[in-house]
Amino acid sequence: MTPAQTPVAEGEVTLYIGGVHASRAPVVIKTLLGSCIAVCLHDPVAHVGGMNHFMLPYGADAQADGAARFGVHAMDRLIGETMKVGGDRRRFVAKVFGGAHVIGIRSAQGSVPAQNIEFVRQFLETEGFPVLNTDVGGEQPRHVHFHTDSGRAFVKRVAGSAQLVQREQRSMRTPPAYGDVTLFD
Amino acid sequence: MPATILIVDDSKILRTMVRDALEADQHRVVEAADAGAALHSVDMMPPDLVITDVNMPDTDGITLVRALRERPRERFIPILVLTTEAGDEMKQRGRAAGATGWLVKPFDPARLRETVRRVLKPRPA
Repeated sequence: MTPAQTPVAEGEVTLYIGGVHASRAPVVIKTLLGSCIAVCLHDPVAHVGGMNHFMLPYGADAQADGAARFGVHAMDRLIGETMKVGGDRRRFVAKVFGGAHVIGIRSAQGSVPAQNIEFVRQFLETEGFPVLNTDVGGEQPRHVHFHTDSGRAFVKRVAGSAQLVQREQRSMRTPPAYGDVTLFD
Repeated sequence: MPATILIVDDSKILRTMVRDALEADQHRVVEAADAGAALHSVDMMPPDLVITDVNMPDTDGITLVRALRERPRERFIPILVLTTEAGDEMKQRGRAAGATGWLVKPFDPARLRETVRRVLKPRPA
């Protein structure tokens, strides 16, 4: 192969609200964020990484601590999946994107995107994951491309769409269900 | 009746959430961040119940369940697995290792307390 040749294209994965993906093989994880948050975790020694895409539930069905509970779950899944592909949480570094004001709903405590951003900031601080980069807030949605092997992330601000706003509003009002309980005989 | 419960999870936030849920029932909660710390804790303060995560650094929760079942004292205490893993194959691995039950995150605090009450209840001989 000459230096001018393009390397074989890496795999690509598109992530939607509620999704988590981590990969041992190099892939590019792509997602479109409005008010939602995406956290990218990377292990620079094992060269593996993962991303989630979530939003804290909000409204009558999600009390304050309940909302955080589901945010913790989104982060817990990301950590678990990234460890399953060979990552070691003691080496994880994080990048955080999203939380734009595209939904137009405000709560008494502050805006919904701001609550999401603050939740992630506190979570990563408490769990001790260094944050290498954040690009949050503002009013424009973001396209994020995350390379799981290098940990590099590319962000592009794009125009908002009614479809994205509808999708995020729907997700925000639908808290995920609690998990099952199984007792063995 | 209050019990001593060991929570094993690499996430500090998760441990705190489980602790808060169980202390509401007056249980005494002990925390360990990994399997090694859990085995050390079991030696220092034998628990009445162990609740463990699966995906943890160094040693996973299923291996921890197996290690606990090899100990004379922990052979018969209830061990619950609390994990994001919802697949049947993993559940069956947990069962084969000797887990008493399998709880999928996110957990409902009331349901967790109810499950703990159930597994701590003495069974007829």
